[in-house]
Amino acid sequence: MEDVLTENPPPSRFFQEDLNNFASPPPEPLPSPFIVFSNPKPELPLKPSLLIIALSSPSLYIFHTLPSKTLIGTLIIPELPFSGNTVEPSLQDKSCNIYSLSDNNNNNNSVLLVSVQLPVPPERSNLVSRLLVGQDIVPARVIILDSIQSRNFRGRLSPDEALAAKLETSSEKKAAATSRLSLDYFPSGSVIDGLSASLLSRCQLKNIRGTLVVSWPEFDPSVVRFVGALLKSIVPSLDIKSVDKDLEKYSSRTGLKRDAWLDSDLYT
Amino acid sequence: MEFVVEEGKRVDEECSTLILPALSIGNVGQLAVDLLVSSTGADRVGYLDDPYLLPCVGNDAYGPLPCGEISLPLEVYESPSTATTLAQQRSPVAKGMMIKFAENIADFAASSGKKHVIVLSSLDFQRLHHNLDMSRGPQVYYLSNAEANGRDEHCERLGFGRLNEYDSEGRCWKYLCSVFDENCKEELTFPSEDELEDIDYYPSLPFAALFSAFKARGLKVTCLLCYCSEGDNIPDAFLLTRRSRSCRLHVGSCVWRLLFHPPIDVSNRVSSMK
Repeated sequence: MEDVLTENPPPSRFFQEDLNNFASPPPEPLPSPFIVFSNPKPELPLKPSLLIIALSSPSLYIFHTLPSKTLIGTLIIPELPFSGNTVEPSLQDKSCNIYSLSDNNNNNNSVLLVSVQLPVPPERSNLVSRLLVGQDIVPARVIILDSIQSRNFRGRLSPDEALAAKLETSSEKKAAATSRLSLDYFPSGSVIDGLSASLLSRCQLKNIRGTLVVSWPEFDPSVVRFVGALLKSIVPSLDIKSVDKDLEKYSSRTGLKRDAWLDSDLYT
Repeated sequence: MEFVVEEGKRVDEECSTLILPALSIGNVGQLAVDLLVSSTGADRVGYLDDPYLLPCVGNDAYGPLPCGEISLPLEVYESPSTATTLAQQRSPVAKGMMIKFAENIADFAASSGKKHVIVLSSLDFQRLHHNLDMSRGPQVYYLSNAEANGRDEHCERLGFGRLNEYDSEGRCWKYLCSVFDENCKEELTFPSEDELEDIDYYPSLPFAALFSAFKARGLKVTCLLCYCSEGDNIPDAFLLTRRSRSCRLHVGSCVWRLLFHPPIDVSNRVSSMK
């Protein structure tokens, strides 16, 4: 049995610094994140009919393999270094690139993709989510793809059982059933934090149709296939043939990471 | 901090008592607000969007069935039958930003016409340096700005214990006062984490920042506190819930119904997320 005094607190408990008015604040305010758009700079705000934001490893992999996408911008978080990034977008880059699926990126009905390949600190999530939803980009609908965070999940997550669930904004719930994603709701008692939570919250505050899809395990070929099929159901014109073709490479690339959670708390 | 009214909802200006939790050991304040929202049938009317609040989302904080009702980090509920507004906070404040957060929420309370603010919080039993009088059962303590020494005649009549550890001349309490009071001419230095002593425990807690912020905005504020340890804190939450209902300025018949209502079964519910 865990010792509540010495073990890390469960998700609902606080660290000492959470309860201290006199915890040291950040030394000085950081410059705000911003988006750099390609040349010629499009007329802002962009108003896509659909904005899809990838945060999970499977979804980032799929976005990377998609052909016929056009890089139209990148979101910069000033304090995060991007040394080591390549000129051509790569899955190893620490970047947050924005792509258009339409050849004509001035088309207000285009689909935009965002690949979040950098660790956005929770304290900066509010500013980043404002840029992506409601400021430089005002989408009609948002789909966010993330992984279930085991630290915030009340229950057991089996490494052998892939699962997915959703959270929706009120606007999304009111939309026609045929246009909504057919997934179980994320169970009550568990939470999602970080950038994906901030993005969905922004959608709710702005009364925008928004869905956050969370999947498990974090690195698994079956989840890649699932996310690919999900995206295809949302954007039928999406070409996901190359996803299956390169899935072996994905498995080998993520092999080390997959084994890493054999040592996780799930196995204690 | 921006208050966003939920689509299709209206704010009831008669709900002039604001009850909110302060983050504290065992999440007791948040559990108590959850109980109040459930028991009063309060309806969510909007959200508070604050840059210093860490993000989190979840589903179905109150409903027994999974219907995908999204919950955000800081939500505002209203119970017209009890003339009460309830603000539920579900995630922590960014490190070092509690004072800014308190200032923002005090601005919201003042600008939305609240007359009385009740802050629900717990205190760490291990920090207690004297014996508690348990002869009358679990005790609720209070801190009020009705009098300069923290005393409130209404709370005394209700049998609450005054928080004797409150010292308005203590350096940390004075610092909090100076930060929120625009008219304060005294420049006091920010207490370093390394310099804090045992006596600084109480003013270092979130409830103290909220108390000082509401007080500086000229609002009547009462903090209700109970000592506890980490563990099953639902009984502590029930204690604060019952006492907060009797603390409100307008005591309606629904309050008495609640006091004698059977305990709510929370075994299948979320309670507060963080």
